[in-house]
Amino acid sequence: MRVLRYIGRRMLFIVPQLVGIVLVSFLLVKMIPGDPAVMMVGPMASAETLAKLRTELGLDGSIMYQFWIYLTNLVQGDLGTSWQTTRPVLNDLFVRFPATLELITLSLLLALLIGIPLGVAAAYFRRSVVKKFSDYYGLLAGALPDFWLGMILIYFFYTIFQIAPAPLGRIGFAVMTPSPVTNFLIIDCILEGNWQALWSTLGHLILPVVTLGVITAGPILKMTQSTMERMLESDFIRYADMCGLPKSVVIRQAFRNSLPSIVTIVSVLYGFLVGGAVLVEIVFSWGGAGQYAVQGVLNADINPVLGFVLFSAVLSLIIYLIVDLIYFAIDPRIRG
Amino acid sequence: MTHHPGPAEVDASVNEAGEPGVKPPGSSGFLASWRARLRFLLAVLASRPLFAVGYIIVFAVILLAIFAPWIAPYHPEKANPTDYLQAPSWRHLLGTDQTGMDIFSRIIYAPRIDLTIAIGGTAISAIVGSLIGAVVGYYQEMGGTRSLAAGFIMRTADVLQAFPVFVFAIALVAIFGQSLQSIIAAIAFVNAPIYLRLMRSQVLSIRNMRYIEAAYVSGANDMNIMLRHVIPNSMAPILSQLSVNIGWSVLLTAALSFVGAGVEAPIPEWGSMIAMGFGNIITGQWWPSVFPGIALGVTVFGFALVGASVEVLADPARRRALAGTLREKKRPNAPSKQPAEAA
Repeated sequence: MRVLRYIGRRMLFIVPQLVGIVLVSFLLVKMIPGDPAVMMVGPMASAETLAKLRTELGLDGSIMYQFWIYLTNLVQGDLGTSWQTTRPVLNDLFVRFPATLELITLSLLLALLIGIPLGVAAAYFRRSVVKKFSDYYGLLAGALPDFWLGMILIYFFYTIFQIAPAPLGRIGFAVMTPSPVTNFLIIDCILEGNWQALWSTLGHLILPVVTLGVITAGPILKMTQSTMERMLESDFIRYADMCGLPKSVVIRQAFRNSLPSIVTIVSVLYGFLVGGAVLVEIVFSWGGAGQYAVQGVLNADINPVLGFVLFSAVLSLIIYLIVDLIYFAIDPRIRG
Repeated sequence: MTHHPGPAEVDASVNEAGEPGVKPPGSSGFLASWRARLRFLLAVLASRPLFAVGYIIVFAVILLAIFAPWIAPYHPEKANPTDYLQAPSWRHLLGTDQTGMDIFSRIIYAPRIDLTIAIGGTAISAIVGSLIGAVVGYYQEMGGTRSLAAGFIMRTADVLQAFPVFVFAIALVAIFGQSLQSIIAAIAFVNAPIYLRLMRSQVLSIRNMRYIEAAYVSGANDMNIMLRHVIPNSMAPILSQLSVNIGWSVLLTAALSFVGAGVEAPIPEWGSMIAMGFGNIITGQWWPSVFPGIALGVTVFGFALVGASVEVLADPARRRALAGTLREKKRPNAPSKQPAEAA
């Protein structure tokens, strides 16, 4: 019951915030110079067709009027059309968001696999090589540009050793792609039992996932390490230690109490990566959501940008909700 | 992170105003003169070589930016089409790119643009952000229209921060037009909420201190209290954020240029150089992208290290703990009087 009431109260705040985000992004994108009508028909079109198209698109009304049209369409599930792909933005996003989510979810998993054990070890063995290594790792991971690291990996594993597939999208050209159901390629391949496609998909995922995972492990490592250090110094862990509990139990207790801050940093990173993975997406021609939005901004294509911002805002709200639920599960104080 | 330096803890090197009344009672004379501070800094650098590396990197990059025309062997924007894609050699130390420009010279010139943008953007965001944050934190709990306005500003910051950073920055550059000023403005815009929040939470905890109350009772007006007491005592977390933020802004600038929304092609800039070499790296010519990436990474690394050192030095408790360990090292046989505080 408490959970439901909590979620309900959350929702009350979400709607105005969403409208605010849409309004700000609408005004923002409208300020970008460049006339979509001119972009659509080209510079050679007559003034007549241009005027007709502008009326059709609702471009001759005031900004607030245009925003009103956008909102009413939005409520009906219409996010407009992208003039670049000439397809409804909603359809485009349903293809591209899963591509990004697949990439960043796996990257975060890898980052957790690297960051948590290293962080715990560095916090426990405070005067060891592990601690030194993780200090350097945290600093370096924050300093390296991810797009550059991706290119280095491509150079070694594609150009030199020729074991990785070409950095051109999510699946090989010669492979039968599975029929799109969820647009998460891994899931689609498994649903169809298309093992060849699954193999190709996994092969294409390795380099971008390693790129993002290695970089994202930095902040997770730092957070794990600092929280674990604080926990290991806290009175209840010292007490447990003095009582003679085995080291593994002490570490496990300290780790369990560090979980909330690790969950928080993971959720922040997840929200950040939705847009932040765009550079790696570009390097690997991934066709993800961030790439779609960046193309939109660079070509005065408004609807994809708005759609992307809206989708990622909703996504981060969902993530925060899930995080709250996880807090409920792991922190008995909240459960009350 | 949750450490809020109270008036007693803020000693000479944080409180630049140098008011004699706010010296820490326990360690009178600690870091009192500039010479003592310099000696302390050198001792710290000697015992923490990584910090020294950070300062050396940052110093070297700034020197490169200033003296680029005298160091660079070639003109950074002059292409020599007969010499395109040359591998590193004695003639071209780091090779040439696809248009025949000398990569070594371009890397040396690049910090001029990158550092200008990063430092400019960070400075603007820190000044504007922390001023707004101070005002918001100061008036937030006063009730009436003031706290309403403060709440409105915080909600606006929420909405601005809900945007995906990178797309937001590109959109801003697209709006202002692609120029140096607009990239600086975009970076300042993206960073400002960080300082706003930091300053606000800091001020919120400080404004209930007794010495603020004392200043108020003795008749100082809000403006005076804020400028003379609240802001100077809230600076520590902002200062330690600055250097890290500059490094991060260098990365963001390079990323903007990489997608073509930042500095434009012939101008030497690390991100756009990496982007230019992208096509070559797949066909095996690695040098046009690899070297600018290393330069970029090393620079950001240097700023991160400086940030880490400032974080230790700006926190009075951690600084004193560090001074304690340094003193112990000097006299290995003497019994340690300073209880080794965990930093």
